[in-house]
Amino acid sequence: MVAPARAPLRIDRLRAVNAPKPVVLELDASGVLSVSKVGKIEAILETWRIDDEWWRQPISRGYMEVMLEGGKRLVLFQDLITGEWFSQMP
Amino acid sequence: MTSFRDIFGSHFDSEMSQRPTSVLAACVWIPLFPLRCEEARHEGLAGYSIALLAPDTTRKLWQVSPHARHTGVKPGMTVSQAIGLCPTLRLIEPDPVHYDEQFARLLSALTAVSPVVEPAELGLAYVGTAGLEGIYGSAVKIVAAIKRTLECWNVGMSEASSFRLGWGAGKFTAWVAASRAKRSEAIVVPIGEEQKFLASQPIAVLPLDPDIHRRLRQLGIRTLGALAALPEEAIAAQFGSVGRRLWLLAAGRITEPVVGRVSPEPIVAALTFFTPVGERELLSHSLDQLIARALRHPRRIGWRVHALRLRADLDGSGSWLATILLKDPSADAMRIAAPLKIRLEQSPPTGAVERLVLEFTAFAPGTAELQLFARDAQAAARAGQQRALQSAAREIRMRIKRSSLYHIIEVQPWSRLPERRYALIDYEP
Repeated sequence: MVAPARAPLRIDRLRAVNAPKPVVLELDASGVLSVSKVGKIEAILETWRIDDEWWRQPISRGYMEVMLEGGKRLVLFQDLITGEWFSQMP
Repeated sequence: MTSFRDIFGSHFDSEMSQRPTSVLAACVWIPLFPLRCEEARHEGLAGYSIALLAPDTTRKLWQVSPHARHTGVKPGMTVSQAIGLCPTLRLIEPDPVHYDEQFARLLSALTAVSPVVEPAELGLAYVGTAGLEGIYGSAVKIVAAIKRTLECWNVGMSEASSFRLGWGAGKFTAWVAASRAKRSEAIVVPIGEEQKFLASQPIAVLPLDPDIHRRLRQLGIRTLGALAALPEEAIAAQFGSVGRRLWLLAAGRITEPVVGRVSPEPIVAALTFFTPVGERELLSHSLDQLIARALRHPRRIGWRVHALRLRADLDGSGSWLATILLKDPSADAMRIAAPLKIRLEQSPPTGAVERLVLEFTAFAPGTAELQLFARDAQAAARAGQQRALQSAAREIRMRIKRSSLYHIIEVQPWSRLPERRYALIDYEP
């Protein structure tokens, strides 16, 4: 990693890019899945799974790319260890 | 002052040598200088409504005499508008070379009083007076000496071309004093009384752009005292670095010294045409030849050209002048020629040219390496973008007190976890 000129690299000044944002998934009575405060999910386009860093703190995520009502695309994943849901850019 | 590093790593200043400076300043101001020059050389013109056409485009007015102003004629008007308002208006073709020569004569006269003379614009110059007490005495006597010099210089000029003089600590105080002085009189601001003097002056004396002037007036700020009474940080937050500088000037907190000129030894190359030339292509070709000849001059070796002047003597009595200050001093013929050719295209001489004279008037030290880099247009463009970005970042930090600009850096670009790939880090130019 190369620090930009004149900017001494300090770890406390680093800010994460594309950090996962917690979301709440809701299932209504008619069986339609929606992302709380974002919108209803129209379709699940793709799913994949990431298992990593098993040698220290295991990370296990189940990703899915969804299409929301109105056509917007969103990537969600569930932390398969804690069960929490997040949204994240792919 | 820009500092360069030579190939051995030593720093040196961009100026040819150390310039003399003086915090105590006298300001000499002759309003409407070019117009006054015309009145001086055309007898009887002073009593008429006259207007000088702009040197760049002859369709608009540059300077307007007080007589013409009374009829509603203003600078920037088109000729047809002006004639409509004042049918007796006399229009004069500009002669920038003549004005330049007259101003040079004025500066030369002022150097008889003090070696530290700084020209600001046509008709406006500052004289450094620090250390002159031993020769002339008090500030009032120094000003009297400048006044005598100006009166001698003024012989032959019209009565209306009278000067205004101001004296004080720093150029701004001196300028404000001169701008408030009556014709052929002087205002001396005693040391320590700058703030009291400035407080009652209108904000129009500040170097403001129209937008800031309008905003200040909308805020109800009419005088420098009212501006200085506001917190410096509040002004900086509203108007950025420009606002901070205005506040410092209004509060009398900065005293900008007069910076004397190191008399340059210009390199001159001239070409006299057998028959007057009007074709731009031929003029452009002649310019290339003059630049090449001037660059080959032995005195130029080791220096890059910083300022240059191209003058043309026109068929008849007119003249044409283009003065260029290169942002990046250069020894490259194409880079030197480019701004002059643009000027030739945009505002060509109004008549056929009899004689073309090129002068390199100021230089910056140069090394072979610097010149090599200067030829790399892409490198120069990148450096320009970087400078602009740094300037913008400084401005943002000054206004909102924190950095809002970040670099994106790669952390683990190979990671399967998206949040591990990149991070933001504060951008500090």
